[in-house]
Amino acid sequence: MTSKREEKMKKMFGKPSAESEDYAAVRELFRHHIESFDHFVTAGLETMLNKIKPIEVVDSSTGTSLAIWFGKPFLFPPQKEESKTARGKLLPFECRQAKVSYTGKFMADVYFKYNDGPAIRENFNFGQLPIMLMSKLCHLRGANPEKLVSCKEESSEMGGYFVLNGLERVVRLVILPKRNYPTSMVRNSFRDRKEGYTDKAVVIRCAREDQSSVTVKLYYLRNDSARLGFWIQGREYLLPVGLVLKALIDTTDHEIYKNLTCCYVEKDESCDVKKYEKGKGNVGTQLVGERAHIILDEVRDFITRRQCLEHIGGHFRPLMRGLEDESDLSVVGEAVLEDYIFVHLDKGFDKFNLLIFMVQKLFSLMDQTSLPDNPDALQNHEVLLPGHLITIYLKEKLEDWLQRAKKLLQDQINNKSKTFDFCSLVNVKKVLDKNPSKHISLAVENMLKTGRLVTQSGLDLQQRAGLTVQAERLNYLRYLSHFRAVHRGASFAGLRTTSVRKLLPESWGFLCPVHTPDGEPCGLLNHMTSTCRITSYFDAQGNIRNFLNIRESILTVLSELQMISSVPKLVQAGPPANLSVLLDGCVVGSISSKVVEKVVAQLRKLKVSASSVIPDDLEVGYVPLSSRGAYPGLYLFTSPSRFVRPVKNISIPSDEGQNIELIGPFEQVFMEIRCPDGRDGGRKDAFPATHEEIHPTGMLSVVASLTPWSDHNQSPRNMYQCQMAKQTMAFSLQALCNRADQKLYHLKTPQSPIVRTSAYKKYCIDEYPTGTNAIVAVLSYTGYDMEDAMILNKSSVDRGMFHGLIYQTETIDLSDQKSRSDRSRKFFRRSNINKNSSIDSDGLPYVGQTIKPNEELYSIHNEVTNESRSIKHKGSEPVIVDYVAIDGKKLLQKASIRFRHPRNPIIGDKFSSRHGQKGVCSQLWPDIDMPFSGVTGMRPDLIINPHAFPSRMTIAMLLESVAAKGGSLHGKYVDATPFANSKNVNEETPPQSKTLVDELGEMLKVKGFNYHGTEVMYSGVYGTELTCEIFMGPVYYQRLRHMVSDKYQVRSTGTIDQITHQPIKGRKRGGGIRFGEMERDSMLAHGAAYLLHDRLHTCSDYHIADVCSICGSILTTSFVKPERRVGRAVKGLPPIRASKKVICHACQTSRGMETVAMPYVFKYLAAELAAMNIKLTLQLNNAA
Amino acid sequence: MDPQPEPVYYICGDCGMEIPLKPNDVIQCRECGYRILYKKRTRRIVQYEAR
Repeated sequence: MTSKREEKMKKMFGKPSAESEDYAAVRELFRHHIESFDHFVTAGLETMLNKIKPIEVVDSSTGTSLAIWFGKPFLFPPQKEESKTARGKLLPFECRQAKVSYTGKFMADVYFKYNDGPAIRENFNFGQLPIMLMSKLCHLRGANPEKLVSCKEESSEMGGYFVLNGLERVVRLVILPKRNYPTSMVRNSFRDRKEGYTDKAVVIRCAREDQSSVTVKLYYLRNDSARLGFWIQGREYLLPVGLVLKALIDTTDHEIYKNLTCCYVEKDESCDVKKYEKGKGNVGTQLVGERAHIILDEVRDFITRRQCLEHIGGHFRPLMRGLEDESDLSVVGEAVLEDYIFVHLDKGFDKFNLLIFMVQKLFSLMDQTSLPDNPDALQNHEVLLPGHLITIYLKEKLEDWLQRAKKLLQDQINNKSKTFDFCSLVNVKKVLDKNPSKHISLAVENMLKTGRLVTQSGLDLQQRAGLTVQAERLNYLRYLSHFRAVHRGASFAGLRTTSVRKLLPESWGFLCPVHTPDGEPCGLLNHMTSTCRITSYFDAQGNIRNFLNIRESILTVLSELQMISSVPKLVQAGPPANLSVLLDGCVVGSISSKVVEKVVAQLRKLKVSASSVIPDDLEVGYVPLSSRGAYPGLYLFTSPSRFVRPVKNISIPSDEGQNIELIGPFEQVFMEIRCPDGRDGGRKDAFPATHEEIHPTGMLSVVASLTPWSDHNQSPRNMYQCQMAKQTMAFSLQALCNRADQKLYHLKTPQSPIVRTSAYKKYCIDEYPTGTNAIVAVLSYTGYDMEDAMILNKSSVDRGMFHGLIYQTETIDLSDQKSRSDRSRKFFRRSNINKNSSIDSDGLPYVGQTIKPNEELYSIHNEVTNESRSIKHKGSEPVIVDYVAIDGKKLLQKASIRFRHPRNPIIGDKFSSRHGQKGVCSQLWPDIDMPFSGVTGMRPDLIINPHAFPSRMTIAMLLESVAAKGGSLHGKYVDATPFANSKNVNEETPPQSKTLVDELGEMLKVKGFNYHGTEVMYSGVYGTELTCEIFMGPVYYQRLRHMVSDKYQVRSTGTIDQITHQPIKGRKRGGGIRFGEMERDSMLAHGAAYLLHDRLHTCSDYHIADVCSICGSILTTSFVKPERRVGRAVKGLPPIRASKKVICHACQTSRGMETVAMPYVFKYLAAELAAMNIKLTLQLNNAA
Repeated sequence: MDPQPEPVYYICGDCGMEIPLKPNDVIQCRECGYRILYKKRTRRIVQYEAR
C-alpha cells in the first residue's frame, strides 16, 4: 500500500526528499560564520589561552611566588542540565521553545606553580559558552534533511547563529581595516593631535595569531621627522622612529641611513633611471636623505640598542602589566616592542624592515610621489567574523579574570589580620572562588545577546554596540540576508559626510551594488554578492591550515623565482629598480621590477593548480610601478577573513584542469578582468585581459539575483525590490509547528514563480516561496487604481489568493514573577467560582478556541493568598489559540501560548511585484464586475494602472508578464536570468537574430495569442468591448507585511494624559493622531472655525472651570460638601440634586463664582505659574 | 469539597504519548520523562457557523 503511494508521490514530485547536496549552494552562503566558529572551537581557543601571559603573585614576607596560567581548554556540546541521571542532548528547538540558551560547558586547565616547584594542574569550570548552530559542537552538525526534520528543524537548516534565551542572534559582519597592510592616510584629525603634526600618516593594523590586533600609526611631523604611535590602555603613546629602529635590532646609523634612502637613486646614475619613462615608479626624492639625517639626529644620544630599550622601558614600566617591579629596564623595553609594535611579527629584524618600509611609504606620500590609500575602499578592508570576535572578547575576559585573581591574592597576603596560608593551594583556590569563573561565559553570552562589548581596552574595534542582530525569520530572503550583510561600522552611521556610503568600483564583484537599503543605512549596510566568500582557517578539505608552513612554502617558491630574500645587513634596492615583497605584512625580500610580472603570473598559475602548496586563496596584490599612483610593491596575503571571489584565469589554458582563481579586492584593482557583457571595457591593447568573469550575475547578491531580467529595469527599481523582497509575507518556515517566535508572518497559499532566474533553483527558494502568480491586467478601471492603488478580484481572494496569518507567541513564566513583598508561589489554575469561562481547568485557554478582545485568557492562582486572578486578552482583534505548550517544573508555572491572527487581504494591504512596483489594495472588486477577456473569458486577479510604467521604466515587469503568459501556455518555467545573452556575444556563436521580445512574442503567437501580450477585453459592468486592447498576463506578486489591521488608528474619546488632560499619542495605548500646526493653518484658511474648535477644544481637553470673579483666580476654588439631605424626596420624582457649592478660598465666599469653559492645560499653566510665584488673574465680563 | 476537576490531556514533545494532567501533577511525561508538553486541541465546538 504505502509503496504504491510513495511511487505515485515520486511520480508527482520527483525525488521523495531532497538530498543533502541540494542545499550545498545555500550552505556555502553561511559558511564563513560556521567556519570561523569551528576554528574558535578547534584551534583558536587553545592558541588564545596559550597567548595569555602568566601572572605571578609574590608573598613579600616569605618570598614565595606563585605563577598561574592557562592550559588546555575543553568545550562540550550542549547538554541538558536538569536530569541528574541521564544527561541528554540539548537540541536547538528545545532552546527556542523553552526560551533558554544553546550553550555548552567550557572548562579549562589552570596551572599553579610555586617558585620553581612542579606545576599543578587544576580544572576550572568557566560556565556555559554559547554554541553556534551547525558548528562542530552542535548536535545538528552533518545531519541530513531527514535527521534535521526529526530534530524539529528546517530540512534546509543552515545554522550560523546562536540561540540565546530562545532568540536567534547573528553576529553582524563588520568591516575592519585590512590586517598587516600599511595604509597611507591623510586625515585632518592627525594634524590636531599635537603641535607640529601633519595630516599624513601610515597606519597598519597588526593582528596576532589569536586574532587580537594592535593598530600602529606612523605620523609625519612638520620638522620632517616621524613618530610611531600606539595605544596602551586607552591612551596613545608616541615614540620617535629613530628610537624604535635602533631598539629593534643592533644596527648603526649608517645602516639605517642606507636602508631609508634605498628608494632614491642619485641623479648621477640617471642613465639607469631613464629607462623608466618620466620617472615612473620613482617614489623617493632627494629630500629622503635629509629626512633620514633628521630622524637619526633626533636620537643621536642613543648609541646602542640597550640604551634605546632602557629608555623605552623606563617610560613604560608603570604601564606594563606584570613588569611593574622589573629592575632590568631593557626587559621592559623589549616587552613593549613585543606587545605593542608590529605584533604580527616575532623577529626584531622583520619589524625593523617593516618600519623602514613604512617610513619610505610615508615619505613618498609626503613628496606626492604616491597617492594615499582610500580607507573607504574595499581594497583595504577585511571583515570581523563571529569566531574571531568571540576569541578576542573571551581573551580579554580571561585576562581580566587572572588580573582580578592576582589582586585578590595580593589583598589576602597583605591583610595582616587574617592568617592566610599562601602556600596551600586549597586556600588559594578558596580565594579564587570569590572571583567567579562562571561569569566569563556569561559575559560572552551577554555580549551576543545585546551586541554590546563591555571592555576597557576597546579591543582595537571601532564600535562597541550593535555587533549582533536578531535573525528575523520574516521570510527566507530576509533571514538569508542577515548572514550575507556586511556593515561598514556603527561609527560611520552618524557621520555627516557621505563619502563612506559611496559605491566604489573596488567593491565590484564583492559587494552587491543593488542590494543596499535606501535611507539611513544606505551604503553602510551592504550585502555580499552570491559568489563572494570569506577566507578561513580551513582549506577545501576541511583541515586547519598551518599558516607557518604555507608562508614557508611561498617563500621557497619566491626564492626560486628570483626574489632576493631579506638578510640582515643587506641593503635592498628600492623602487623603481626593485619592488619590495610583503608576505602578510612581513618584508620578505625584493624582486627586480623587470621580472615581477612573470613572477606574478607564475604565482597565479601555482595558485590554481591543485598540486602546489600555495593555497588557492592567496592574494597576489601586485601594485605596479606608476607615476604618482599607489605605492608599488608585491603584497601577498594568506590571512583569514579576507573577501575572495572566483574568476576565470584565461591566461591558463582551460584544458589544464582548473582555471578558476580566487581573487581578493586588493589584487582585483590591478588586474585586467574581462566581463562577458562589457566588450573591451575601455581596455587598450597594451593591457590584454588576463582574467574573465564567470558570469555577469556574479556581481549581484542572492536577493538581487532573484529579480527577473533585472538588466531591463531602471536600477533604483531593483533596489526597491531588494527591500521589498525582504519585507514580504511569505512561506516563512517549514517547521512552523515547532516554533515559538515572538511574531511570524506566514502566507497560506504560496506559488512558485513561472518566470525565474537561475539563482532561484540554485538557492532552493522553492522551499520558501514568496508570492503568487497573479493574472495582472494593466488598465485604468473604475478609478480605484489611481496612484499606485490596485484592484483585487474579490473571488480570487475568496479562493485563497494572498491569504496569510500572523503567529504571535506569548511566554508566561510565573517563577520569575515572584513579587518581592510576598514569597508566594503562583501557578496556573482556574478559579473554582467561575466555571463557564473560556479557561480550561488547567488555567490555560482551550487550543483552537477564538478569544475576543477583553475575554479571559488564563488564570493565575496564588498559593499563599489562595486567590485566583484571570488575565484578559489585550489587543484589538480576536485571535485563535494555536497551541499551548507547558514546560517542565514541579508546578504548572511556565507556558507559552501561540495565537493565530487571520490576515486575509483587505482594503489597505500592501502588495508588490518583483520590480519595485508596490501598491495598496483599494477595492476588493466583485468578480462579475471585473473586465473579461474576449477570447478566454478570463478575469484578472489584479488590476494596476498603466501610469505605473512610463516614469518608472520597469520594462522587466512587462517582459515577465509576457513570458509568464507564454510559459503557462506551454506549461514550462521561463528562465529570466539577467545578462543571459551576454555569454553568446563573446563566445562568437552566431549572433542572436532574435531579441528577447521576439522570443517571448513567438511563444504567445504559437498558441494563438496576441504577439505583444494584449487581449481584447469587455467591460464587466456594461458588457461592451473596451476601446483598446489590454495588456494582461501573470506576474509574480508578493504580499508585503505592512497591513492595515496592524496600523489603523481611530479614536473619538479615550485615554488622556494625566497632567494636561489632552489625548495621548500611540496606537498601542488607544491614542490619537496629532492635529498639528499645519492642519490648524489649513482649517483657518478654510474658515472652518467650528471644526477647528471641535478638534482643538471639544475633542481635546475641554474643561469647565470655576473662576472667582472677585479675585480673578482659578486656583483658589474649592468644593464645599453639600449637606446630607437637601430637600425631601418626593414620591415618584427623582430626588432634587444638591447644587454643588463652590467657594473661593481667598475671598471666603461663593458670591463671585462663575463657570468658564477653557482648555484644561490653561488651568495647569496657572498652577505652574503659581509655583513660580506668578499670579494669574482672569477678568470676566460678558462679551458681546 | 470540590469535585475533582477533569484532567487536561497533553501530548509529550518527545515520544508523543498522551498524558492526562490534574492540578498539582508533576509536569513530565510518564513514559520518557520529557518535560515539554503540548496541550491537545479542545473537543469543544469552536465555530458554530461555517460561512
